[in-house]
Amino acid sequence: MSSASGTLALGRAEIIRLRRNKRYLFFTLALPIVLYLSLAKTATTEGGISFKIYYLFEMASLGAFSGAFNNNAIRISQERKDGWIRQLRLTCLPANSYVVAKIIATVALTAPQIAIMMLLGRFYGGIDLPIWQWTVIAVTIWLGTLIFAALAVAIGYWMNPNSVQPVIMLVFLFFSLFGGLWFPVTGGLKDFAQGTPTFRIVQIATEVTRYGTIQWAAVGVILIWLAVFVGLATFAVRNAAEAI
Amino acid sequence: MSNSGTGPVVSFENVSKQYGGLKAVDGLTLDLRPGETVALLGPNGAGKSTSLDMLLALKKPTGGRIRMFGGDPYHAIKSGRVGAMLQSGGLMPEVTVLELVSLVASLHPRPLPVEATMKSAGIDKFADQRVDKLSGGQTQRVRFALAIAGECELIVLDEPTTAMDAETRRLFWANMKAEVAEGRTLLFATHYLEEADQAADRILVINKGRLLADGTPAEIKQRAGAKRMSFRLERVDEPFLLGLPGIESLEIRHDVVQIQTRDSDATLYAVLDAGYRPTEIEVASLGLEQAFIAITAEDDRDNGPARVTRQGSAASAEKEMSDK
Repeated sequence: MSSASGTLALGRAEIIRLRRNKRYLFFTLALPIVLYLSLAKTATTEGGISFKIYYLFEMASLGAFSGAFNNNAIRISQERKDGWIRQLRLTCLPANSYVVAKIIATVALTAPQIAIMMLLGRFYGGIDLPIWQWTVIAVTIWLGTLIFAALAVAIGYWMNPNSVQPVIMLVFLFFSLFGGLWFPVTGGLKDFAQGTPTFRIVQIATEVTRYGTIQWAAVGVILIWLAVFVGLATFAVRNAAEAI
Repeated sequence: MSNSGTGPVVSFENVSKQYGGLKAVDGLTLDLRPGETVALLGPNGAGKSTSLDMLLALKKPTGGRIRMFGGDPYHAIKSGRVGAMLQSGGLMPEVTVLELVSLVASLHPRPLPVEATMKSAGIDKFADQRVDKLSGGQTQRVRFALAIAGECELIVLDEPTTAMDAETRRLFWANMKAEVAEGRTLLFATHYLEEADQAADRILVINKGRLLADGTPAEIKQRAGAKRMSFRLERVDEPFLLGLPGIESLEIRHDVVQIQTRDSDATLYAVLDAGYRPTEIEVASLGLEQAFIAITAEDDRDNGPARVTRQGSAASAEKEMSDK
């Protein structure tokens, strides 16, 4: 079996595991859906767009990001400690397959999650957008999951299972609060929030919905964060090679 | 890079591994020949796991060179020629035993039928159980199944029978012998002398990262089975004591003489026959732990003033190794 198909086989196994994990399904799928169902009918508007659209971005992002981030960081840290990564290194798989399979599983499961939320927005929330705008929103959120998956890899390789839990909680709280995933960021905080990838993801979604334009500056910020976190993850994985 | 000839399957050339100031492995030199079953025997912390980790390309040596099938160990592993089971190898949770073994088999270039692997590892009875719900002994057998899930030429096992009960252990070695009978080379680390004795053709004794003895189980057992004798004796005559029958090592502190001997009766009679009247005579069998301490102490003296005569092929084999 070639190394690519071996990595895919491992990715499939990761997907099987995630689909069996009730905690994962609750936080990434059930919770965002329930929250959206209870909030979507609000008539208020925010930043020129109705809350039913705004909450759709937020809930879809929250579910996708928490799945990619919390779940991967905890598992990688635990599986590093348990020696599963060592075990895999004795197989014919190339050394990076473990991380690649995690990303594959994350990406593969996040795509339908985002799609479900978009469908919910269209048919339950009654949001009527052209296909290309839906696509821009979905792809942006999906790109965001990559950022969080990369950060999760870095944290999972750096930290022990005992310390990883509070750290990811704080980090996720930071990005979700300042990014405006819980409620809109206003006033002086907004200047600061501009620098976070989460804020920019919501911004792209908002702009495309309101004006039908894409905020290229926001895309730039997101890509910079992605590059930084991928760099951190690569460094952490290489650095841990002897300690695994 | 195929190497089907008579070259060594594994060779360590003066291999060292240093962690800060600690030398976990210190100038290890050895060869494994095709078809051999070799036990790496030593107390906890002797450097067994570090040596195997380096062999399996999980850690890099800080000195020396390791070859596997005449090439880089990493490539040998990635081409599926090695089946390995680690003491610290974890399993993927949330999948069933059957799913896990199937996955690992599917990653191998020459997978063996999963059913047969499960059977020979004795895990077919709980194939549908979740991996994270297994007992320690069951987990250990699943690890073994992963090691033999594909066609391989060398099997490396680190403390394979830890957490197994006596019956499982017996079954394990019965299966292992079948694997080896097909011409595979087997290297396993253990701290059970009995296990090394029953399973191995050859035993490598290591302690503090150094190879102290290399011989057949009979040769090593003879050393480990030696007795320790001590007595007080005024006017110690060192050349005389060194010439005593059965003597393996000698240590003198003031008037206290400590002797390690293969034949305590003959040694004591010779002392008495020579007209000496030692006092406070004590003779004790060396337990496994003590045998290692004795072998280590002997090794330490080799590096100091030569005070020891040694006989027997295990000792000369060791001499050869430590001289390299």
